Amino acid sequence: MKHFKMTERKDDKPAGKPNKQSHGTDSAFDLWLNRGLHELFDDVMKEPVPPELLKIVQDDKKK
Amino acid sequence: MTTPTFHDQVIAILPKLRVQALALTRNRAAAEDLVQDAVCNALSASGSFIPGTNFAAWMHRILRNRFISNLRKRRDTTDIDDVPANTFATEASHEDRLALKELGAAMTRLPADQREALVMVVVHGMSYEDLAEATGCAVGTAKSRVFRARRQLEAWLMGETKERGTARLPSRVARVSDRSDREDSIARL
Repeated sequence: MKHFKMTERKDDKPAGKPNKQSHGTDSAFDLWLNRGLHELFDDVMKEPVPPELLKIVQDDKKK
Repeated sequence: MTTPTFHDQVIAILPKLRVQALALTRNRAAAEDLVQDAVCNALSASGSFIPGTNFAAWMHRILRNRFISNLRKRRDTTDIDDVPANTFATEASHEDRLALKELGAAMTRLPADQREALVMVVVHGMSYEDLAEATGCAVGTAKSRVFRARRQLEAWLMGETKERGTARLPSRVARVSDRSDREDSIARL
């Protein structure tokens, strides 16, 4: 797993930009991003579908 | 096991359509309208769907085309603040929530096609091939959209000026991100 420091601590050397090799999808940032997107959108996925939307489909099915 | 009917498939994909619509519109009410419009379009065009082909891609493409069509009629963007607070309701810590809010805000700044691509790959777990089919582009373009979205978000959230110690944002994002990475490392042990 590629890893780079993203925190700024007293013992940090002058921080450079994150390692270019971190630009896969397994960098710390990408892992955090994946989790963050799930946090933002998973609740929407879990919400019940509005009844009026279901009714549109079901009414069409009866035709 | 019986094959799901066309209408069963429409109902089953509704949650994913709602996520796609929210990713595109950035607005809850507009997303609900978009899904409803797309569903009506799909029901009208049910005869054009070829059973056995990729229903999800077909349906996502209809929603996307409808979004583009609406955009042409009315250029209209709104802020992520329109997304109800419960979209962000999680058990996360205060710091995590702030980082998430910053991510949500940064997402709104991405071009719609990149935002949509990133959400469909990460949240829906869609393959690049399916994404390409759903969005009517080449697989390479689909990959590129996701890649550019990730890198743009990283640049915004991590700050290009980090080396000068003046990162505009996110020590918070960095801390949360760093912690997630450590937890993953531990989980793999």
